[in-house]
Formats: sequence, C-alpha cells, structure tokens
Amino acid sequence: MTDTHIAPEMWAPATRDGAAAEYIAAPSLTFWQDVRKRLWANKPAMLGLGFIILLVLAAIFGPLLSRHTYFEQNLKLSNIPPLFQTYEVTDGAGATTRFFFNSGNLNLYEVTPSGEVAGLLRATKKDLIKKQQQFKFGDREVVLDTARQQLSFADGAALAPSGWQWNMSHWLGTDQLGRDVLARQLYGARISLTVAFVATLVNFFIGVFYGGLAGYLGGKADTIMMRVVEVISTIPLTLYVILIMVVFNSGFLSVVLAIGSVYWVDMARIVRGQILTLKQQDYVAAARTMGASTPRILVRHLLPNSVGPILVTLTMLIPSAIFIESFMSFIGLGVTPPEASWGTLTSEAVETLRAYPYQLFFPAAAISLTMFAFNFLGDGLRDALDPRLRT
Amino acid sequence: MSAPLLSVTNLSTSFFTSRGEVQAVRGVSFELRAGEILGIVGESGSGKSITCMSIMGLLRSSGRVIDGTALFEGRDLITLDEDELSALRGNDISMIFQDPMTSLNPTLTVGEQVIETILRHRKVSRAEARARAIELFELVRIPSAAKRLRSYPHEFSGGMRQRVMIAIALACDPKLLIADEPTTALDVTIQRQILALLKELQGRLGMAVILITHDLGVIAETADRVLVMYGGMVMEEGPVRELFARPSHPYTRGLLASIPDLRDDTHHRLTPIPGSPPDMLRPPKGCPFAPRCPHAMAQCNAALPPLYDAGEGHRARCWLHHPEAPRVAGITAELVTA
Amino acid sequence: MTAYVVQRMLLMLVTLFAIITLTFFLMHAVPGGPFTSEKILQPEIQAALNAKYHLDDPLWLQYLTYLKGVLSFDLGPSFKYAGMSVNQIIAEGLPVTMKTGALALICVVALGVPLGIVAALNRNRWPDTLVMVIATIGVAVPSYVIATVALYVFALRLGWVPTFGLDDWRGYFLPVFALSGFWISFIARLARSSLLETLQQDYMMTARAKGLRRGTVLFKHGLRNSLIPVVTVLGPVVANLLTGSFVIEQIFALPGIGRHFVLSITNRDYTAIMGITIFYAAVLMVMIFIVDMLYLVLDPRIKYRADAK
Repeated sequence: MTDTHIAPEMWAPATRDGAAAEYIAAPSLTFWQDVRKRLWANKPAMLGLGFIILLVLAAIFGPLLSRHTYFEQNLKLSNIPPLFQTYEVTDGAGATTRFFFNSGNLNLYEVTPSGEVAGLLRATKKDLIKKQQQFKFGDREVVLDTARQQLSFADGAALAPSGWQWNMSHWLGTDQLGRDVLARQLYGARISLTVAFVATLVNFFIGVFYGGLAGYLGGKADTIMMRVVEVISTIPLTLYVILIMVVFNSGFLSVVLAIGSVYWVDMARIVRGQILTLKQQDYVAAARTMGASTPRILVRHLLPNSVGPILVTLTMLIPSAIFIESFMSFIGLGVTPPEASWGTLTSEAVETLRAYPYQLFFPAAAISLTMFAFNFLGDGLRDALDPRLRT
Repeated sequence: MSAPLLSVTNLSTSFFTSRGEVQAVRGVSFELRAGEILGIVGESGSGKSITCMSIMGLLRSSGRVIDGTALFEGRDLITLDEDELSALRGNDISMIFQDPMTSLNPTLTVGEQVIETILRHRKVSRAEARARAIELFELVRIPSAAKRLRSYPHEFSGGMRQRVMIAIALACDPKLLIADEPTTALDVTIQRQILALLKELQGRLGMAVILITHDLGVIAETADRVLVMYGGMVMEEGPVRELFARPSHPYTRGLLASIPDLRDDTHHRLTPIPGSPPDMLRPPKGCPFAPRCPHAMAQCNAALPPLYDAGEGHRARCWLHHPEAPRVAGITAELVTA
Repeated sequence: MTAYVVQRMLLMLVTLFAIITLTFFLMHAVPGGPFTSEKILQPEIQAALNAKYHLDDPLWLQYLTYLKGVLSFDLGPSFKYAGMSVNQIIAEGLPVTMKTGALALICVVALGVPLGIVAALNRNRWPDTLVMVIATIGVAVPSYVIATVALYVFALRLGWVPTFGLDDWRGYFLPVFALSGFWISFIARLARSSLLETLQQDYMMTARAKGLRRGTVLFKHGLRNSLIPVVTVLGPVVANLLTGSFVIEQIFALPGIGRHFVLSITNRDYTAIMGITIFYAAVLMVMIFIVDMLYLVLDPRIKYRADAK
C-alpha cells in the first residue's frame, strides 16, 4: 500500500455534538414567517402595498385637508390647467399684471404673483370677424388673435411668455364645471375604494359562507350548490351588475350592492375546494380521531390553511371591484353626479378630450396605478404563499 | 477482457441555484460492460439519478457537468452536442422513470408515444412502426396489444403504464437501459412483476442495464454489480454477492441493517441510520457520512478517504481500510484474516 | 362522450332558462317596468305591449307568454321606440359587434399565445421581461383608458385612423386593439405560466429521453398540453369581449349591440335591456359549448371522466 502515514491521534473517535447529525443548514421558519420574508423581498409587491397604503390615507384624510370640496362649482374658472405659461404686461403707471392664456376656451386669466388664479380677464372689445379680442391693462392694450392663438401688443409686437407657473389655487386644475380636480380625485378615490372594499367584504362573507357550507355538507347538497354557482358564472358578471343597477337605479349604495351580491362565486369555489381537500387531509382526520370538535377543527385546522388562497382571491377581487365600478360609472350606471369616482372622472374627461386632453391623465393614472398596485400585491402574495416555491 | 460499453470517469455535476452551487455529483467513476446489470443504490439526494441524467444530457437548465467523461462505445457523451445526443437517446441508450403516472403524455395515445420513438430513430413507414409497437406491447405483455395502442395513459393502471414505458425504452433495441427507480411508485406485487419482466427482457435482448434504486432488495435480486452512493460520491462498489456478504463501508452496513430479513426469525431489531444526508450546498470537507457514522474518527472529519481496494473488484471509501486504522469487526475483520 | 355532450347541453338550457326568468322578474321589479300596467308611455307602445303580453293577465301568465316569445326567437317590442322590435335593434347592431368581436378574438389568440410562448422559452431573458411588462400594463390598465388614450394619440393627434365609425378599414384598429388588449395580455401571461409548468412535467423529460427533436418535444408534447388552460378561458374571453364592447362602442361611436345596450339602459328601454341580455346569454352559451367541445378534443382525460360518471 502506498498510503501516507497518518498521525495516531487521528484514529481516535470523532468528537461530535449530539445535534450535529440532525443539523439542518437553513434556519427553519414557520409558514407565515417564510411568507412574510418572501413577500418582503418581492419589490413590486411591496411597492404596490406602499402605494395602496398611501392611497387609502389620501382617500381618508385628503378631502379633509383640501381647500375645495368635490361639488363646489365655479363656472368662471372652468377647465383651468394645472400648469400654464404666464405673460406679464406692465402699464405706464408701473402696475404689472400677470396672466395666462387658456387655449382650450380662449380666455385670459389673471394670476397672482404667488401663482393663484385670480379670475377671468374681460375683453374690452371683441371682433368676431377678425377673430380678435382686445384687453386693456391700464394704458396698454393687448390683442389676442384667437384663430392663430397669439398675443401681441396693439403696435403688433408679439408678447412673449414670461415663464411657467404651477396652478397654486387648483393644484391639478379644474374640470369643465370649474370644480377642483384634486378634490374630486381624492373624493373619487374615496368612493372607488369604499365601493371596492365594501363590495369585496360582502363577497367575502357570502363566498365563505356559501362555499364553506357546500364543502362542509358535501354530497348532494354540495353538488346542487355548485351547479348553481356554475350556472351563475357562465354569464358575465357585468351583465348581472347592470341588471341590478337598472332595477335599483344608479347611486353609491346600488353599486356596492350590485357588485357585492355577484362576485362571490370565485370565493365560494375556492373556499369549497379548500374545505374539501382539507377534509381529506390526514391531520384533520388525526384531530378528529383525537376527539376535536367540529368548530375546533374548523377554527384551528381548516381556517389557517385556507387563509392563503382566500387572501390572494381577496386581493384580486378588490381591483376587479374597482374596475367594475369605474366601468359602470363610465357607461353612466355608477355613482350619480356630483359624486365622483374614477369611472365618472374618466368619463367626464373623455367629454373634453379634444380641448383638454390632459384632464384624462389624472383619473386614468389613478385607476391604472391602483390596478398595478393590487395586481403586484396579489401576484406577490400568491408567489409567497405557494408552497411549491418554498426554498 | 473486452472494452466496457460505458465508462464514466470522475464525473462531477453541480446545480447553480440562487443559494449557491449544489454539488450533486462529486467525482463518480464506474464501468459497465455490455449485458451487465449495474445497480446504483443510495438515499434520495445521494446523486444517483443526477449521475444518470448527466450521462443522458438531460439535466435541468440549472445543472451542469463540470468535470469528467462518460465514454459510450468510445464517444464521450458529455461533449456531444444536443443533436448527436438526441440521436443516441431512445436509440442506443434509453431510460425509464420512476413515476409511470406522470411520465407519459396524458394527451397522446400510448401507441403514438411508442410509434413516434420508432419513427425518430428508424427509417420505417408508419405502418411498420405500428407493427413494431404491437410487437413491443406483446413483448412487455400488455394484453390485446393492437387495441390498447389507441388508449390514453389514464386508461391504464400504474403497472401497465410502466410496461408502456418499458416498451418505449426498448423500441429501438438499446444497448443500454437506464431504469431510474422503475418500481418505486408501484404496488409491491406489481413491483415484482415489473422487475421480473425487466430481468427477463435483459436476458433475452442482452442489453446492459443501470438500475437506480434505494431498495437493496431489488438490487440483490437483479443486479450483477452494485454501486453504493452517498453525498454525491461512490462509497462502495463491488459484485453483488461479494458486497452483500462483506459490506465494507459503515454506510452499506447501515443500509443492510435497516432492511428486514424475512428469513431471519431471531427477532433482530431494525436499526435505522440516524441523521439525514449532508447539505450539498456546503459538503463536509471529510467523509460525507462521518456525521452519521458510528465509527467516525477524527481523521474522517479531516480528510476525504480514497476508494480502498477490498478485494475481488470490491472497493470502499472508508478510512477504516487504511492499514494503520483500528480494526472494526464486520467491516475490516475479514480483511485482516484474508 | 355523448353523455358529456348531453350533460353540457342540458346545463346550457338550464342556465338560459335561469337567465330569462331572472331578467323577467328583475324587470318586473322595476317601478314603471314593462310588465306593470301603470306608466306614461306613447300609446302605440302601450298598445303593442298590451297586445303582446296582455298586461292585465296575472304575472305568471305574462311570464309564460314572454318565455314562449323568447323560445320562438321573438324578443318583443321596444319600450321606447314605437314600431321597433328588440329583434330589429339587435339585428341592426349585430354585424358591427360581430366583426369587431371576432377580430378581437382572433387577435387574442393569434397574439396572446405566441407572446406567452416566446416569453416562456426565453424565461428571465429580455423577451420574457418585455412581454411581461407589456402584459402587466395590459392587465392593469382598464380598457376604456387604453381606448381613450389610443383615440387621442392615434386619431386626434397623429390622425392615422379615423376617430369614429368603421367606414374606413383603418377604423377597426383602435376598437379591436382596445377590446383585445386586456385579453392578449391575460392570455400571454396564462400561456407563459402554463407552458413553464408543462416544461417541468415528467413526460417532457420522457419525450427528451426518447431522443425526440427539440421542436417535436416543444410543439407536440409541450404546447398541446399547455394550451388546455388557455382554451378553458376562451369562454370567459368571449363573454368579456361582449361586455367590453359596451364601453368600446361608446367611445368609438360604433353602432353595435353594446352601444344599443348602453343606450337602452340610459333610455330605460326595459324590453330592449331584457332582450339584449337574453341574447348575450344565448350567444355565450353557444360559445361556451363550442369551447367545451374544443377542450374535449384537446384533453382526452375529460371524456374519460365524463364517461366514468
């Protein structure tokens, strides 16, 4: 043998601690710790969650802090943009007037030095044939050519803009009735989110009750109850919602009622499926054998294990409820004016799309971002809860 | 002695995961002659399946052979490209998997799944391939073969599906059949039938077989030679009788002690091996079995033992075989008397 | 096999019956609805309704009369337009809705599935990321937002396509795009995850172990199986293309059924609401039936399970 010599003490029995043989490299986490860890590591999901929290806070406290109300109209200040180019004219007496030109409605508005919109400037003369309007600032005269959308002094010299100014009296501008867009956005968020949360909650209870009952009863009752669900779900739920809205008339409560009473079928299916599979699980049988009572089994064993899929379904239900509400409001079946939701806001913005395309931006962005947030959170939750992805 | 059909040298395979490199196979070498049945035994995670997947070029995307060769009839399978390999697979080398319930495509008839294999590797017409498929079904004893070709996998029992898998594997008269736990997912009575069938067909068709299992009983009945794997390494290898008569590694002894012997009526206690296999993300520096070994010595944790010759083609990777090592009854006692 | 088909058809009829009953009684519950006799209507409509449904009859008799009418494909007179029948309203809008809907469905399948496949095969590489980003946007942004933004950019700003109507073939682009956007994204995501899951299956390993070529493994073994979940959602897709058309036809001013439906809602044309709802339900039932049959062809296990019952 060509073996190298090995020091004799190396042949002594190895020292080992008792746990070494059973040592597991990765620290073991409970299921929920693991879920939380993985959700935390999921950036889009956390971003979504952050956005949702901010949104909820804004919806609750925003309208309280706002200077304007969602219904207060000021037709003199309608369709004001959030950002405009200002012009300055100084008259012979040294008084400077700051104003901006709203190309959508061809009006000039006076602006205070701090950026507040002070009011409409009245033209001293309107020449409808030449499409010109004249404005007097003390001894100076400015001519607005509405066809070419140009401003010039009476002597023909062009008036150059003095700079950009953010609208300080209406941060996001005003709508076609002169209502503050920000206030309406915040109020709309409140309505949309309330509809979504309440409707989801109603769905949750109906779904859990119905699905739980079907799964728990099993047999014939289960078959019949699930057939009913099957029949309901073959028809697009939007149709039911529309029919219910037609019966109950538009309005906040009917929307909640309509969405809440229709979208529980998925939840019912999932809860039933969970209950059915769990009923066959060995540990439930074990609990039963050891004499645990039915309520105890439901609370201690079935519920914690069903929470995952239910949570994911809930997270996904909220954006669909938001979407359906805005959809209904968009086609004129949702909340009634002057109440606002993201759907009515979008639909109002579409009416003025040609003249004020930017008005579409805020409601569209609000609803899209919210959908993103809930989608990301839902995806993240599903991934985090998926036991197959556990490492 | 003729050249071996398959000669694997120093094969090492790792999986590159987000948590790091998992060294699934670490320097495995073995030879297989034509017509021979080699049993590879080990716990799950010992690297036995990965060894065969590496040879077949069927590793999942995160896995890579990082070292070693696998010469099949003189060609190194490791360096072949996908086209060359796929021409070999199902043709010269074929494979059967553990779970016949999921290994067949549920949406294609079993006949189609046999026929497509034949059409891939043989220049025959569809009708000829079909005739061959019927022949194969008869060979693996599927009753009313012609009719059953049109059935879907879900219409078969587990045992019947495994017969279909065997028929697919034998479709092109392979020289080497790799059977990865072919009976694990089956009922005990069906297990016996499938094993008997495999052994009979091997005898009749003369192919070499690599039989992967964690069941020493299966090995004892079927194999000519045995490879015992642990922690991605070969721990012991030898002719089946020799190895069972004189297990020369504490791990093999542990395995043998943990299976019941029905002929033995002295009511021995079954002794399980304590502990669990090593974490291959951070394999131990010394012998991978040392943490669970009843005879572990300081040396075992310090360095990896080489494969020591234990006579008659029998080799074991254990420091106890070092000439200076203390003698342990049952493992090295015979060595001393020999 | 036949047992399964019969079972599906029965379910279809039961569902349709349930819808008719539900809509009838819901509309009856509306104060001033079509089946109550106290209302202020144009006299000729009142007369037409009375002639058709005998409004003085007990409710159940009116219901039976209505049911009989529906079964003979007669949805009755309009509640708002004298001399118009609901059948005529539907017939007028059908071609437009059918054309945009069919084009949208084609887009959903012809774009969604390939995008999903490309993403799955390039998992975690740039094509995957690109497809997933687009698909995530498509799933999250409501169709009416997509529609209005597209309308503004492509029709008003760039002038590439007309802002409304379908007289010009280019008029189809935006409505079809807005209608199918969500479902292209949805199907792309579904096809991707389904194919990824299929690629992990044991039988894919078997197919490779048999030495089959890459293309055969992917298309014959992988795709077919991964398309099964895609086919199952096609029924809901059709349903949602229909409801989606409410908004899209409104935005692009297309004279389709969806627009008529929304109009009849704002006009409180109850018989039209009812008739169009039932019509939608019937169309859907047929589509879902077709999808079920398609599913049967793709997945032999269904047949087996249905026969085993």
